[in-house]
Amino acid sequence: MLKVIINKEIRDLLGSTKFAIIFGVCALLIIATFYVAGTRYKINQSYHEASVTENLRRYEGVTDWFDVQDSRVILPPSPLACLVTGVSNDIGRSILVSGIGELTAEGSRYNEDPLFAIFRFLDLEYVFGVILSLLAILLCYNSISGEKEQGTLRLTFAQPISRSTYILGKILGSFIALSASILVAIAVGCLVFIIMGIPMTDDQWLRLILIIIVGLLYFGAFMSLSVFLSALTSRSANSLLLLLVVWICAVLIVPRVSVLAAGRTVEVPSVDAIANEKATFRAQTRQEFIDAMTHFNPDKYEESADKALMTFMDSLQKERENRVSEFAGRLNENRRNRQQVQHRLALALARISPTASMSLSMSQLAGTDVDMSRDFMEQALTYQKKFASFCEAKTGVVASGFRVIRQVEGEELPEEKPLDVSEIPVFEHHEMATAAVVDAAIPDIGLLVIYNLLFFVGAFVAFLKYDLR
Amino acid sequence: MLATLIQKELKAIILSPKFPATFAVCSLLILLSTFMGIMEYRNDMAQYETARELTQQELRSTTSWGHIKTKVYRIPEVMQIFVSGVNYDIGRWSAIDDDQGVELRHSAYSDDPVFAVFRFVDFAFVVQFVLTLFALLFTFNAVNGEREDGTLKLILSNSVPRAQYLLAKGIGAWLGLVVPIGIPILLSLLMLPLFGIPTDADTWLKIASLMGISLILFSFFIVLGVLVSTITRRSNISFLMSLVVWILAVMIIPRGGVMAAGTIIRVPREAEIKAQQDAFERQNWHDYYNSSANLWTLDKPDDGGELTDEELWALIARQDSARAEIEAEINQHEVRLREELRRRKRAQERLAFVLSRFSPVSAYQLAAMTLAETDIETKARYEDAMSDFRSAFVSYGKKKAAETGDIGGVQIALSIDDDGNQNMQISSDRNTGELDLEGIPEFQRPSTDNAAIIGEIAVDGGIIGFLTIMAFAGAFVAFLKYDVR
Repeated sequence: MLKVIINKEIRDLLGSTKFAIIFGVCALLIIATFYVAGTRYKINQSYHEASVTENLRRYEGVTDWFDVQDSRVILPPSPLACLVTGVSNDIGRSILVSGIGELTAEGSRYNEDPLFAIFRFLDLEYVFGVILSLLAILLCYNSISGEKEQGTLRLTFAQPISRSTYILGKILGSFIALSASILVAIAVGCLVFIIMGIPMTDDQWLRLILIIIVGLLYFGAFMSLSVFLSALTSRSANSLLLLLVVWICAVLIVPRVSVLAAGRTVEVPSVDAIANEKATFRAQTRQEFIDAMTHFNPDKYEESADKALMTFMDSLQKERENRVSEFAGRLNENRRNRQQVQHRLALALARISPTASMSLSMSQLAGTDVDMSRDFMEQALTYQKKFASFCEAKTGVVASGFRVIRQVEGEELPEEKPLDVSEIPVFEHHEMATAAVVDAAIPDIGLLVIYNLLFFVGAFVAFLKYDLR
Repeated sequence: MLATLIQKELKAIILSPKFPATFAVCSLLILLSTFMGIMEYRNDMAQYETARELTQQELRSTTSWGHIKTKVYRIPEVMQIFVSGVNYDIGRWSAIDDDQGVELRHSAYSDDPVFAVFRFVDFAFVVQFVLTLFALLFTFNAVNGEREDGTLKLILSNSVPRAQYLLAKGIGAWLGLVVPIGIPILLSLLMLPLFGIPTDADTWLKIASLMGISLILFSFFIVLGVLVSTITRRSNISFLMSLVVWILAVMIIPRGGVMAAGTIIRVPREAEIKAQQDAFERQNWHDYYNSSANLWTLDKPDDGGELTDEELWALIARQDSARAEIEAEINQHEVRLREELRRRKRAQERLAFVLSRFSPVSAYQLAAMTLAETDIETKARYEDAMSDFRSAFVSYGKKKAAETGDIGGVQIALSIDDDGNQNMQISSDRNTGELDLEGIPEFQRPSTDNAAIIGEIAVDGGIIGFLTIMAFAGAFVAFLKYDVR
């Protein structure tokens, strides 16, 4: 019997004009999303390559490793980040790394191109979160109340069917019909990706599949919510209105408002205050640095005075930088901890809405969640160490900036040969391991499953008490 | 007769069961969004004040006029309460420094990405997403719903011209929706003085224009619903149709237009520009160091003796002027690069806006941002003002340094005498007191021409108004031929 009902539900849905129109729009959107992501990825990739080459090209013709004092680290684009943008366009993507000192990430895409910040990009998170949830509502808002209005509900229950079989069949049928159609559109989208030649590793495909599963779970939650509310109301016009209000709150309002409200209740030291403290501390150490410098005595060194001065300055500078970065590190650490408290509170509140759970888990899986900038910074720090040891190996000093050129009359300058810039260590960005990412996303996925169950049970209970007349 | 019909329409809307729910949601959202906007504004303002205080303090504690530098911040706008635009996406401050061009950096979202996850909710957002949807929800079955109920036949069996009937529909729906929405809007405006937000006549004028253009957009969607209901016979079809149109107008066309423009016109990345500039700088400084090294050896007197003090000073002066020349050249190069970048960006923006203006919703968003001065021009506007400030600031610093004879820095002298003994002197004659910052230039908010802004948004308002009239005319024509059976 269950099979018959599922079958009937699938046919009902797929045969309606409503479905044809709405699904047509959604399918086009999904495919467009993949296409847009692919093009963005290619554009970003070409920008990225250009920036990396420029980074090396500025050292072309340089003949002395002393002139190579810094190297720019740039966050490479990833196809998944184009599909689920998360905060990837908001965070700084480029860090100037010199052998020593604090790093700051700069140049977020939206800051560079505010044009795109106005309406943002089309991505899977948006398509699922805003458009497909609306589709779920539009297709299921009258699944119970509509049948009642048409009189088919009474007809059905004239047969020996239990209410629980009926409601189960309803929900399963709609879910199978709709998710299958969405999957077809997504499959075409993936094909577009492959045809465009977007390089995706197996790991990334796996993550994409998980992202789609999260999307379908979310879709299922909205679908069973629609059935639930339609079983609570006797007129379909009322259930639609109610659902639209719920949709507006869940999708557009709750996530934003809760983040803003929670974010402002937790005080996080402002970046400016921290920057100021750092600058003050740096100014202090500068005075001490200069005082220490006056104590230089070349006689204490075996090397010639210029060499000695350089090593002396380097060690002084290193000491100063270490002190400054230790101080800055403490401040940053403090801010980071406060920020984490803020994130936890803000995002926990936002999760009242399934949309928030969905977009948080999706961005986690795509590696574009709020921790993205911290992860990038850590990798840049690792690179900094590599770069510092490289500089030290080449020139003997790191802290740099200071240089003595000794030129003795009558002595020829050493011949200048262009450097082999390919020797400069290359920054390689590592994506977080899939296992770790999945681990981080699991609570949100679990929450989505709970939402599904909750709405399903709600629909079930409401329908058991439903007045069929 | 018209009055009776309008009255009937008004009653139908206000007494309908969906009215209390939608009215409550809209009022709540309008009040909430304004409240959040006010909170954010106050937060931004407090942050701005502290930051300014701190930079002043930092400036005072600088010990030397040589190479003085500071930071300037973007100043929060009252109008950002209603339209946040790109305010949180573009950089908050720029360094003001002799050897560095002006560039806004560190957007609020890049400092605190958690706020970027779901972004901001403001009045303009509520108008675009919620009010438009509710407008359609009330009018999608204005005509065909009455046909389905059978009341259309009944009404037209009286001596009511069709034109009058449709006019009454339009006016009634408009009054029934606009007047109730006006209440929370007025309440939210009351919140401004209540929370002590400084408002002047200019701000109120802008707020009034914003409300005006919001109403035009709202009217457009009311009329659109009427139009859809006159060209379809069944209300569930017209509902579907208006939703599809809504999704396209609100969610697809604005993004699609911008992204299409982004693909058609390529703009070099900032990082590329920076790298090119870096390379240029490096090359120039490299040349400079080489030539100045030569300067010291070449100008040695022929007799092999030491340079006299005058000669030494002349040499230093020559080196300084060479340095200044290179700095100027580097600055010019950067200006050229940036100008080129900006030109390309402008072209891209123009195309994007033309494409996305196919939807009245994006025309509204663009107009609202222009009005609130949180549009994409904000960045260029601030960077220009900051560049002007930079030249004033730098020349002030130079003047002061010349007056006080204080160039700062550390002097190191290394000499080796004939016996090979090395001798080294390091000195830093620095004053440790605070600088006297009397008369130091202060950064002013870039001035904008209010008349130009209002003129600009009048165009967008005109476009949406025109579309509204066209939609109403369409509904009129369709209804004249409507089969009332």
